Amino acid sequence: MELSNISISGLIILVIACLLVIALMVVNAIVMVYAERKGAGFIQRRPGPYEVGPWGTLQPVVDSMKLLGKQIFVPSNVDFFLFFAAPVLAFFPVLLLFLPIPFGPFLTALKVPDGIVLILAFAGFGLLANLLAGYASNNKYGVLGAGRAVSQGVAYEIPMILALLAVVFQTGSMNLSEIVEAQGRWPWSWNILCQPLAFFIYLVTLVAETNRAPFDLPEGESELTAGFHTEYSGMGFALFFLAEYANMLLVSFVCATFFLGGYKGPVLDGFWWTFIKAYLVMMFIVWIRWTFPRVRFDQLLNINWKWLLPLSILNLWITAVVVNFIGK
Amino acid sequence: MITAIWDQLKGLYSLIVGMIVTGRYFFAPQKTVHYPRKVVDPEDLAAYRGPLELTRGKDDESRTRCISCQMCAKGCPGNCIKVVKGTEGKLPSTWVYDFSLCCLCGACVEVCPASAIDFSHRLYLVVTSREELVMDLLADLKERVAANPLKPAPDVPAAAGQKAADAPSAGAAKNGEV
Repeated sequence: MELSNISISGLIILVIACLLVIALMVVNAIVMVYAERKGAGFIQRRPGPYEVGPWGTLQPVVDSMKLLGKQIFVPSNVDFFLFFAAPVLAFFPVLLLFLPIPFGPFLTALKVPDGIVLILAFAGFGLLANLLAGYASNNKYGVLGAGRAVSQGVAYEIPMILALLAVVFQTGSMNLSEIVEAQGRWPWSWNILCQPLAFFIYLVTLVAETNRAPFDLPEGESELTAGFHTEYSGMGFALFFLAEYANMLLVSFVCATFFLGGYKGPVLDGFWWTFIKAYLVMMFIVWIRWTFPRVRFDQLLNINWKWLLPLSILNLWITAVVVNFIGK
Repeated sequence: MITAIWDQLKGLYSLIVGMIVTGRYFFAPQKTVHYPRKVVDPEDLAAYRGPLELTRGKDDESRTRCISCQMCAKGCPGNCIKVVKGTEGKLPSTWVYDFSLCCLCGACVEVCPASAIDFSHRLYLVVTSREELVMDLLADLKERVAANPLKPAPDVPAAAGQKAADAPSAGAAKNGEV
């Protein structure tokens, strides 16, 4: 389906896909809240949520009920429109980002030729939402968190794009399905093997782009209370939370598609491989969150400008030379 | 330049070491005790500082070693100890301890010349009013000795019997063997 000649059936498919993506986001948030708290517990040698439901499985459901029932408190002198627009703006662009992802050989909502451009372009909206949330909530912690979010997001977007661009050079296509098709079934024919540096850079930048520890400066509790979402309670906070986990899932899917062979697997190709790989990446993100301490802000920017950016340019240059003179 | 790169590689290696540590902890057995269903093993309570108790006497276990010197009462920053010397030698007639004022600093335990007081291992202390936290430790000592009488044999250290007396009721069956 091309974007130019969109038909009624195409529209129906899009609507169904959007509904499925919303369902995926909500289920993913519930599963990840549980998995994250269990993971944190196990790493700290305690059981995590345990009392609500069998092994605490109902804990995220109860938590979301609590968030739904909470009073929405609006501080004085907020920019009323932006204050409520920001959580929605954080949540909805993520919907679009899931559409070009090839979950399975035939399971792609929007088969666009330049899928990765679409994803990278609209991923910036999350950043804008963080900025607006911090700016609108009339709170110095919020403004500081928003400033940090923007400088961090803008900085880390560059090595991320360059790392992905190396794979695009190698494949010769920006279509996500073609990038998956160019990789083989077995782990040694995936892009992670011929682009290990790009994979490493992408792994670092995806943690930073999703504002997760150790790069969770925009919401560093010890300095900024909760950063840009300090003043949000109830569903406003829940939407930011939902968006954070959805963004995590998205970058994990992109990681699986670009470097880990997407829906291709040793036994039977299908969407289950995409999901297994994406959730392994998610568990890795959870693992590093509970291992590393938060970096300082100057360290954060030094890592990016002094190491990741030159390395990604070097990697891109080598890839270009190899592709041009030696062939794929 | 080269040292800078080498430092970064060493830093990356340290990150991997950290991840191995947390990865190992992930699969290690948990330390949490699910309280209402399970209780802490008395062996793990050896260093636990509960409310004060009087240690057992040397010859007659139910007689305190306290010599009513008032060192503990004077040293206490919270004024939670009240000792009154009785008529019978140096033995106290009253030994009242207010746990609601106690900060468990241990100054009294340290300063006691007769080693008459010690921290108990009463982990599961529950009361419904502040008044119940004011404890008569002489009566408490008598009760404990009555519940768990004299040392079974002279070679068994007194501490073992003491620990058994303070173990929670769920562990009482186990302590019958001591």
